[in-house]
Amino acid sequence: MNLLAEKMKEVSRTLLPVVLLVLLLCFTIVDVGANIILRFLVGSVMLLLGLAIFLWGVDLSINPIGEYMSREVATSRTPFKIAALSFLLGFLITVAEPDLLVLGSQIETASGGVLSASVIVYIVSIGVGVLISLGVFRLLQDLPLNIFMLITYGIIIVLAIFVSEEFLAISFDASGATTGALTTPFVLAISLGLSKIKGGMRSEENSFGLVGIMSAGPILAVMLLSIMTGQKNIEGEAIEFALAEGVLGPIVNAIPPIFVESLIALLPITALFFIFNFSKFKLPRNELLRIVKGLALILIGLILFLTAVTSGFMDMGRVIGMGLAGTNRWLLLAVGFLLGMIVVLVEPAVHVLGEQIEEVTSGHIPLNIIRATLSIGVALAVAFSMLRIVVPAVKLWYFLIPGFALAMVLSFIAEPIFVGIAYDAGGVASGPMTATFVLAFAQGAASITDTANVMIDGFGVIAMVAMAPVLSLMVLGTMFRYTRVERPAAAEKGAAAAPLPEAEGRRHDCIMAVAKRGFAERIVDLARLSGATGATIIRGRGVDEHQKVLLPIIHVELQPEREVVLLVTGAEISETVADRLLEDPQLAREGEIDVFISPAEAMTRTMVMDTAGPGD
Amino acid sequence: METMFFAVVDRGKANAVLRKAQQNGAAGGTIFLGEGTIQSKLLEKIGLTETHKELLAIAASEELCHGLHEMVCETFLFSKKNRGIAFSIPFRRRQPQSPGREPDNRPGSENSSFSHSCIVIIVDRGRSMDCIKAARDAGAGGGTLIHGRGAGIPTEFYFPLVIEPQKDIVMIITTKDKAASIRDRISAELDLEKPGSGIIFTLPVLRTSGLFENRTAEHEERTP
Repeated sequence: MNLLAEKMKEVSRTLLPVVLLVLLLCFTIVDVGANIILRFLVGSVMLLLGLAIFLWGVDLSINPIGEYMSREVATSRTPFKIAALSFLLGFLITVAEPDLLVLGSQIETASGGVLSASVIVYIVSIGVGVLISLGVFRLLQDLPLNIFMLITYGIIIVLAIFVSEEFLAISFDASGATTGALTTPFVLAISLGLSKIKGGMRSEENSFGLVGIMSAGPILAVMLLSIMTGQKNIEGEAIEFALAEGVLGPIVNAIPPIFVESLIALLPITALFFIFNFSKFKLPRNELLRIVKGLALILIGLILFLTAVTSGFMDMGRVIGMGLAGTNRWLLLAVGFLLGMIVVLVEPAVHVLGEQIEEVTSGHIPLNIIRATLSIGVALAVAFSMLRIVVPAVKLWYFLIPGFALAMVLSFIAEPIFVGIAYDAGGVASGPMTATFVLAFAQGAASITDTANVMIDGFGVIAMVAMAPVLSLMVLGTMFRYTRVERPAAAEKGAAAAPLPEAEGRRHDCIMAVAKRGFAERIVDLARLSGATGATIIRGRGVDEHQKVLLPIIHVELQPEREVVLLVTGAEISETVADRLLEDPQLAREGEIDVFISPAEAMTRTMVMDTAGPGD
Repeated sequence: METMFFAVVDRGKANAVLRKAQQNGAAGGTIFLGEGTIQSKLLEKIGLTETHKELLAIAASEELCHGLHEMVCETFLFSKKNRGIAFSIPFRRRQPQSPGREPDNRPGSENSSFSHSCIVIIVDRGRSMDCIKAARDAGAGGGTLIHGRGAGIPTEFYFPLVIEPQKDIVMIITTKDKAASIRDRISAELDLEKPGSGIIFTLPVLRTSGLFENRTAEHEERTP
């Protein structure tokens, strides 16, 4: 099965529930015009294609670019260069984000022209740049993420006291706008690349968190802007929305501006990559071609996806929101819950994050659990947003501030790897799908409800969606830490080794040592003491009947992570190496080490074992 | 003879195979994420050559290994094309209280009971595709790629960290007679003779399932 088919399957699995739910609503409760239904269906097909192509392109280009770039950042040798380079990365990808410009002009009208759109765009981009470079330093210096985020969000909570509710909503929305379809995968890739280069025991935890850090930037920037300029109230009115007529017309009309937007959004990454490729990486032609192909795919995928979302999904969301708010307000809550639950899974960055979690933990953390938790978080977020629309006494900060505060407390209790994933999830969940479909749904509902303000309530939705997954994943991380049960390992393992048949012409042995994660370095050190030169470490997950780790309530099996060390040694020392490893008390007791030996024929005529092991 | 049973399947399927293997008596296994290759001229042209795979390794005795091969062919239909491949390599588990030095008699890939060889190449990240291309030119079918990291003598120090070199591990299963030419081809094209550019070695393969080198079922080549 090739990658595109794989992605199509994955996307359709997440898209199908959305389509079914919407159709169900269309045919039962809400009266939706045939045009809009048809456009929604056409949009769904485009979205399926677009998202699959986009994700494929991300695999081919954004991921490798992120890896090369992060290498460039990490090897710049001086702290100043690291700071400057990562600031530049953060600034450039944000400044080109189309959503941010839209938000900027919204604030410009809302503030009666006091804050110009371009000022907002630049301030937010500077905010992102600063936070990214701080985040990169955190990663390289191995500072704990939970403390870093405690300080960052602590400042945000303090600032929130001085900021009006409108700006509270806008500042969180700015964060949602910057974590767009393209920026999030790119920052995820940078974060992954950096932690891979850094390596070490904590590399896994370090792979996550940069998106979370980045999304704090716009919040801080907009809040500071509001406090410094004394801007408190939003005066303007939301733009009146007219539902588009026809089926294909609106779709075709949407393409040209989206084409331009996507191109602009893609430009800085592409330009940066080519500049660096020209001056530093100098990739071979094949690799370069692959990345260019990937970038082209991203452009196509992004255009299809965004067109589908804006023309097919936005009107549908608005009509459903209006229809539900008009009939039964409590039904609005229920549908909001369901929509939030399934829509978030169609978000492109959620797929990318999922893949990354899989890659980093070699499948140790079951993806479905992460997705389910994310869904529940967003579902609650949307449901509470609907409650806010229905009951005006309920304010945004009732949820936002205690939510973040609780998440920060939990970040000290939860399993470390979940902390980064949780903070990332906030930025990941508030992508283009939320910013259009869910937002339109909320605004539609708010426009029918007399007591609601389309502007404030609309903005608040994204803030809620950005907060809830952080909290829900922290809760999951805490559960993982405290409720796992381990079954004791059985004492006896296997029978004595049978002698293997006679060999001819063998000069080397291949040793495969399997141990718990984190012990690989020790294995390599010990092996080198007994004469081996280099080694290659592979990460995997192991399953042993006697060592199952189960989460009790939901009965999910966690497969413990393993590291495999591959060594090629001279045949005469292989047994010494193996014995040395097995005799080490720490490895035997805590590392659960297993050692396997197979005869290998080292194939180069002048096997270079003495001068260069595989690790050089 | 103790062996290590390997199965390469589509991503997500390894757990099912492992569960089945445990029912057949395997104690446990280790799963790696890897990438596979696709053999198609058309798809290659448009860059569609990546697939996500999982590699499952189970330590097994000879009988168990035999059972596992039967199992993957029956339950997971490895006997049909593109369902996955399985192979076993003689690996001896080293026990903690090994009774002294054993007689130095182990199989080499020259041994006639091995129909296939597993060529393992470890190179810097990003050169794996060249590897597979060179192997294909010399008649290999495809390969499985696993990402790892090198742990040799650290060569690059930067503020504030030591760079861990990223490595690609390529495993290519091929018939024994082709192994030498493939190895030479890869070695020449990737310049592996040069120190530090990578290493290549072969492991003997006892038995394979699901390999269709010449579009013929592999079953006839079973070794007792």
